[in-house]
Amino acid sequence: MSTENWKTYEPVLIPDIKNLHTIEVYEKNGGYNALKSVLTDKKKWPDQKSVINEVKEANIRGRGGAGFNAGLKWSFMPPADGGPRYLACNGDESEPGTFKDRKIFEYNPHAFIEGALIAAYAMEITTIYVYIRGEYRAYIQMMEKAIEDAYRKGFIGKKIFGSPFSVDFYVHSGAGAYICGEETSMLESLEGKRGYPRVKPPFPAQKGLWGRPTTINNIETLAHVTSVINRGAEWFKNVGAATHPGPILYGISGHVNKPGVYELPSGVPVLDLIHDVAGGMRNGKKLKAVIPGGSSTPVLRADQLDGITMDADSLRTVGSMLGTAGMVVMDEDTDMVDVLWRIAHFYHHESCGQCTPCREGTGWLEKILLKIKNGQGEIRDLDLLLDLTTQMEGRTICALADAAAWPVRFTINRFRDEFEARCKKSVHALV
Amino acid sequence: MPEVIIDGHKYEFEGEQRLLQFIQDQGKEVPFFCYHPSMTAPANCRQCMVKVGQYVRDRESGEYEADENGEKVVRWFPKLQTSCNLMMSDGMVVHTQETDELVKRAQKDNLELILINHPLDCPICDQAGECPLQIQTYKYGPEGSRFEVKKVHKPKRVQLGPRVVLDAERCINCTRCTRFTEEISKTNQLTITSRGDKNYPTAAPGTVFDDPYSLNTVDLCPVGALTSADFRFRARVWEMNQTPSIDITSGKGCNIDLWTRDNLILRITPRYNGDVNDHWMPDEGREAYKLFNENRISRPQQKLDNEQILSSWNNAIATFSELIEITDKKDILIVASPHASVEENYALSKYANLMGLMQPVFVAHIEKGKGDNFLLTDDLAPNTNGCKLLGFKEISSKSLKTQVSKAQLVIFIQDHFIDRGILSTEDIENKKIVIFSSNHSETTRSADLVIPVTCVAEHAASYVNTDMRIQRSFPAKETKYSNRRLNLEMSEGRLDRHGTHFDNWVTEDNKIDCLPVWTFITEVAAFSGIDLTLEDGRSVMEEIAGSLPAFSGVSYEEMDERNGMNLSAEKEKSKTDS
Repeated sequence: MSTENWKTYEPVLIPDIKNLHTIEVYEKNGGYNALKSVLTDKKKWPDQKSVINEVKEANIRGRGGAGFNAGLKWSFMPPADGGPRYLACNGDESEPGTFKDRKIFEYNPHAFIEGALIAAYAMEITTIYVYIRGEYRAYIQMMEKAIEDAYRKGFIGKKIFGSPFSVDFYVHSGAGAYICGEETSMLESLEGKRGYPRVKPPFPAQKGLWGRPTTINNIETLAHVTSVINRGAEWFKNVGAATHPGPILYGISGHVNKPGVYELPSGVPVLDLIHDVAGGMRNGKKLKAVIPGGSSTPVLRADQLDGITMDADSLRTVGSMLGTAGMVVMDEDTDMVDVLWRIAHFYHHESCGQCTPCREGTGWLEKILLKIKNGQGEIRDLDLLLDLTTQMEGRTICALADAAAWPVRFTINRFRDEFEARCKKSVHALV
Repeated sequence: MPEVIIDGHKYEFEGEQRLLQFIQDQGKEVPFFCYHPSMTAPANCRQCMVKVGQYVRDRESGEYEADENGEKVVRWFPKLQTSCNLMMSDGMVVHTQETDELVKRAQKDNLELILINHPLDCPICDQAGECPLQIQTYKYGPEGSRFEVKKVHKPKRVQLGPRVVLDAERCINCTRCTRFTEEISKTNQLTITSRGDKNYPTAAPGTVFDDPYSLNTVDLCPVGALTSADFRFRARVWEMNQTPSIDITSGKGCNIDLWTRDNLILRITPRYNGDVNDHWMPDEGREAYKLFNENRISRPQQKLDNEQILSSWNNAIATFSELIEITDKKDILIVASPHASVEENYALSKYANLMGLMQPVFVAHIEKGKGDNFLLTDDLAPNTNGCKLLGFKEISSKSLKTQVSKAQLVIFIQDHFIDRGILSTEDIENKKIVIFSSNHSETTRSADLVIPVTCVAEHAASYVNTDMRIQRSFPAKETKYSNRRLNLEMSEGRLDRHGTHFDNWVTEDNKIDCLPVWTFITEVAAFSGIDLTLEDGRSVMEEIAGSLPAFSGVSYEEMDERNGMNLSAEKEKSKTDS
């Protein structure tokens, strides 16, 4: 698809339909047809495998940030042995700049519920948990209401649509820890333990919740499953960029006129998103930098953005990633030292403290950045910061250390003159 | 057999094994903090990083692929791996810090990070000298620190429980202590609180860390974060001698080390024995060190006009022999003890034999409910089975009372029946009481003759535990009659080897005027003109092994070699041999 086609795209997940979040309106608009078809239309869906294959074929790349093919992930589940199996839906979204799942909870919770139910059927799962960050108090309540409604209508529970498939669905509220969005520490948290990421292997598909096979999917990913079943893998594959197909919920924030969540095909040019979708830069200022997919993805300078589209391959050519497509736009007045310090502060605050490099490294990064920000920095501090990022990256159990290290490395590399200028102005007290 | 290649050397291995453990078993080293062989490997300290790869096999033929030089092709893991939780597989290639610069650099980087918030207060820290962090920093760490900003401050001197003190700033969050209470003692009393670099282990609010095994966390702690409330600030480890011994406070016979300085036992730590106590021991056993230092009987004591006075060894020997001679043989009751060693009990019984006295009886020291399914036992004595194997008759407390009432002369050894409430002072009125004991007690105070004898920390002697395992102690402290430098069994400390004359134990204080039971018996026999020589624990055990079938094959050499011997297994073996 050419980069212009996004202009004609009709939203599927968050269409402009009033009260779509209620089960009645959702049903009126074809809701739960996908589930019904999967469970009852034996011609189209002879077995669970056919569902998995369809999803695999669609190549829904996980929308939680890692971008792994969801159908492929499903196929890693070992054969059912009669014991419990779990689907854990990750709605912890805590990465700064990311707020897309919230939109689903608010506007179209049943699309997600339906997708999760289809996933559960495909993997012969007995229990679904949806883990929602504790700060989303209102959305947790909305989700509980939606699940209650679906139970009432018989879409969740025993023998759904008269098929042998039964499943339970629970909402679990987080308690404000970013780390619990990491899939294995989310499992620990669900089990009622301290949110420490687990060492992999064993992978959750082998040993997940309470040691049983578990699949973890992002909320948006599961919502897309419903569309794939409704419209077919072919349709999904033909939306957006070829290697990263399908619609994406872009969360655009920062110095733009119309920040918000926009459902558009993948591969929309970054500059189009800023200028056409989000209404251009606020107060007519000049664009300075963009963080494309949540605070951990490397920041891009305005001069790097020409012709770059929002998909993994295109962003890789300029050294960044799609992440969660939570784009942060910054104008010319932005102080990059401040930005980086704030990001480092976040990761320092959120490091769980299990592994040494992350526990100690995130704090050290923040302290040096604070020193620079307060006009006490020295040029050598910049090299120390870069050194620390290599000391942290790839040396820990989960990816939080990487997420903390990348912004530091790339922000300094791409805005080094700004950091150096700040350091040169430093005033040191005579000792 | 599957093979791994570590630093260019090929090793064969069997079964499922963790790489770090295997490397250690080969006598090589990779630094680590959080790993412990008896617990799960959380891989959270990230210190044991190594570079790992795998020989590439051709999918069809199953043969290793080779490059143009004929070298096998290695596919490396994209990231360094922690060796502690990595299971070995055939064809694994490992580079440690010895052969790989990146690994060396990664380990150095990690230590730099561990140290940034560590207070580096080694000069005042109890762990110094036996601190894995200190040792490994010297070996693998950076030369200095680039950390120029403020360290994190955390609670200090927190009394977690009656026996354990926490200094949270020293903690490196290895979670060994929390895993111990979770996996080994199963009380779940400790957990990590707070997040990121502010986290540290603690007990839940309002609870006390009173786990009966709590002091093991102090041994486990790889830094000085958890210290023993009792041993804190008492001694530097490099000034102490470490002597292997056996815990005498319970029937399990945990293997221990006695730590000595200036002829005092200052602490007790567990010694690894996979067949008995693994790496652990109960807190109760550690408190026994006081028994070896305090309240000791020095010089024999005799009753004169109802008043105990200090006596001399010559007097004591004469009095003992005289009491035996003047009392009717059937009125002499010898009560052996499960609290005394096999050798001590044997000395008494041999003497009884030669003098034509009744064989000793003994009363077991069992308190129901004291034991758990771990290392504490209902049996509070270390040698109950030893008494049984020596052929002594076990009698009940009640029957002891009757037998004492019938006797004229009663000989006790290391058993304090009045203190235990089994006998009262009325029971022994108008009777002659002789007691061999190391410590003062109500019982010794009512005796007519008190023979001070060496305790387990002062002699080599053996004990048979509840699982029929015979294990022995080594002398750890000097008596008035033993000399550390002449006694080959006594351990050498660092100061013995490297210190000057003045660094060393030069004090005559803290030396107890006491004799081993067998020496006293030898003296007594000589006094009465009987041919009986019991030289030391080693020769006594040789004699026992030669004369009692239950102990056949037992010797100190064999016990040392095999870290104790299981007597019932020996018996089975000799049965099948014959």
